[in-house]
Amino acid sequence: MFEVVDPGALSTVQDGGRPGHLDLGVPVSGACDTWSLAVANLLLDNPPDAPALEITLAGPVLAVCQTGVIAIAGADLGGEVPEEGRRLAPGSSHRVTAGTHLRFEGVRSGLRAYLALPGGIAAASVLDSASTCLLGGFGGIDGRALRAGDQLLPVRGPTAGEAGRRWPAGGPDPLDGAPLRLIPAADPAGLAPGALAAIVDSPWIVSTESDRVGVRLSGPAITAAPEAADLVSRGVVPGTMQLPPGGPIILLADGPTVGGYPVAGVVARADLPRVAQARPGAELRFVTASVAEAQAAWRYQAAVLREMARRLEVSGPWETHV
Amino acid sequence: MSRPGPRIVPFGDAALLVELGGGIDIGANRLAHAMAAAVRSDAAGPWGCPVPAYDSVLVPYDPLEVDVAAAADRLTGVLAGVGAPVEDADHEEGPFIKIPVRYGGADGPDLEEVAALHGSTPARVIAIHSGTVYRVFHLGFAPGFSYLASVPAEIVTPRRATPRTRVPAGSVGIAGLQTGVYPVVMPGGWNLIGRTEAVLWDARRDPPALLRPGAHVRFVPVGG
Repeated sequence: MFEVVDPGALSTVQDGGRPGHLDLGVPVSGACDTWSLAVANLLLDNPPDAPALEITLAGPVLAVCQTGVIAIAGADLGGEVPEEGRRLAPGSSHRVTAGTHLRFEGVRSGLRAYLALPGGIAAASVLDSASTCLLGGFGGIDGRALRAGDQLLPVRGPTAGEAGRRWPAGGPDPLDGAPLRLIPAADPAGLAPGALAAIVDSPWIVSTESDRVGVRLSGPAITAAPEAADLVSRGVVPGTMQLPPGGPIILLADGPTVGGYPVAGVVARADLPRVAQARPGAELRFVTASVAEAQAAWRYQAAVLREMARRLEVSGPWETHV
Repeated sequence: MSRPGPRIVPFGDAALLVELGGGIDIGANRLAHAMAAAVRSDAAGPWGCPVPAYDSVLVPYDPLEVDVAAAADRLTGVLAGVGAPVEDADHEEGPFIKIPVRYGGADGPDLEEVAALHGSTPARVIAIHSGTVYRVFHLGFAPGFSYLASVPAEIVTPRRATPRTRVPAGSVGIAGLQTGVYPVVMPGGWNLIGRTEAVLWDARRDPPALLRPGAHVRFVPVGG
C-alpha cells in the first residue's frame, strides 16, 4: 500500500505489546501511547491492538502505491498529501490515492502519531507479537525502525475501511497537560526522606535523552538513601519512576523488565499515553494517587473506548453527525 | 534458617510485588521461582507473566478483572500452597553450561582496571573468574540477559561510574557480586573483562535464551 521514501526520525511497527515473555527479559514493547493506537485502529474497524506504525516527532514520507484508506491518531505531526494540498487531521480516517504521497510537515502537538492500515500492518508475529523490539532486534520489520524502500502492506484489502470517520470528541486526551497521577511505591527502599514530596512539588522538564525505553526528567536533584547502593534488581513495569543518579526516569514500553534503582512510584496506566506524548522540553507535573483511583481511571478509559467504538460502528460515516 | 513470610505489596495499578528479602540468596531465589511457577499454574487467575528476580516476584494482573484487594487475596491463596524448596546446595535444578571466553584486550577493555583495583594481575582475575561455577538467578533487563552470581570477593567490582552507551553483544562483565554476558548490543555499566561467541539470545530459537534460572555456568578461557 505504501513504499517508504524517507523513514523519518523513528518509525516502528507496534501493536498492543508482547507481555508474555517478561521472565526472559523481553520488554513489553508495543505502542507507547496505546490509547492512540486503539483510536487509529478502531477508526478502521481493526482490533484496537492491531499492528500500526508508531511515528516519532519527524514523520516519514510514504509513496502511496495502492489507493486505500488509512487512519491517523495521537500527535499532530502535520500529516498531509502535498499533491492534493490536503491536511490529514489526527483522530480521523482518510482516503489516499495511488501516485500521491503521505508526508508529515512538522510537529504541531504531541510526540507520537499512529498510522493504521485496514486490518493492521502485515508483520510476522515473533514471540506472540508483531511489535518491533529494537533492543532485541526482532519483531516488526526485521526488528528495526523503518528504512527507505520498505513496504507497508495492510492485512486486509487496502480499501477495506471507511474514509471520513472522525473520532468522537470528549474522551481522554493524551495531549492534555494535566498533572500525571503517580502511585507512590509501597516499598520506598533507597528513597531519601522527602524524595516523594520533592517530586510532587516540582515541575519537571522532559529531557532530549528520552526514547521508547523511558522519559528522562530534569529538575531538582533527588538524593538516594545510602542503602540504595545495596538494592538488588526487581521487576518493574512501564510507568515506573526510577531514580538513578542522573535524575528520574519514567519507563516506557521498551523499558527493562527489572531494575535496581530506587523506585519513587508508578504512573497510573491511564496516564501513560500522556507520558508517551510529552516532547523533550515539555513540562510535567505529578500528583500522588491511590491504586484504587488509578484503577478507576483505567476502567473509565476502557469503558470510554468501548462506547466510542460502539458509536463509530452504529453511526456510519461520522460526517453526518458533526 | 527461617525467613519472614512473603510481603505482598501493590506495584502501580496493575501489578503486585512479592518481596522475600535476602538479596542474592539461593534459598530466597528458589522460593521466588517456585512462587512464579505457582502463579503460572493458576491459569484461571487474572495474572500476566510473573517476573521472578533475586528475592522477589513481580506479578502483573488485569485491573479490569479484579481490583487490588481481590488480586492480593487471590495471590496470597496461590502462594500459601508453595512449600519451602529444598535448601540442599547439592540439589540443583538446571543444566551445566560452559561458555568460552576470550579475556582481556579489545574483548575485555576493563580487565586491567579490575586487576589494578584489587592489586592483582589480569591472569589472576581470569583464573578466579573462570575458576568459579555461577548459578543463574534470573533473567531480565534485556532479552536473554542472565544474572549470574556470586563472583569471589577478590574480583567483586562496583559498576562503572559512567555506563558505556554501546556494549558489544557477547561481552562478559562484572558488577558487584554479579557476572553476566550482554546478549545483545546495548548500553551498560558493568566492567567488561572478556567476550564470548556464544549466542545468549536468538528470538527465533526455541528456547530463545541460552540460559535459564537454576542453570550453572562456567566460563572457559580460550585464545584470542
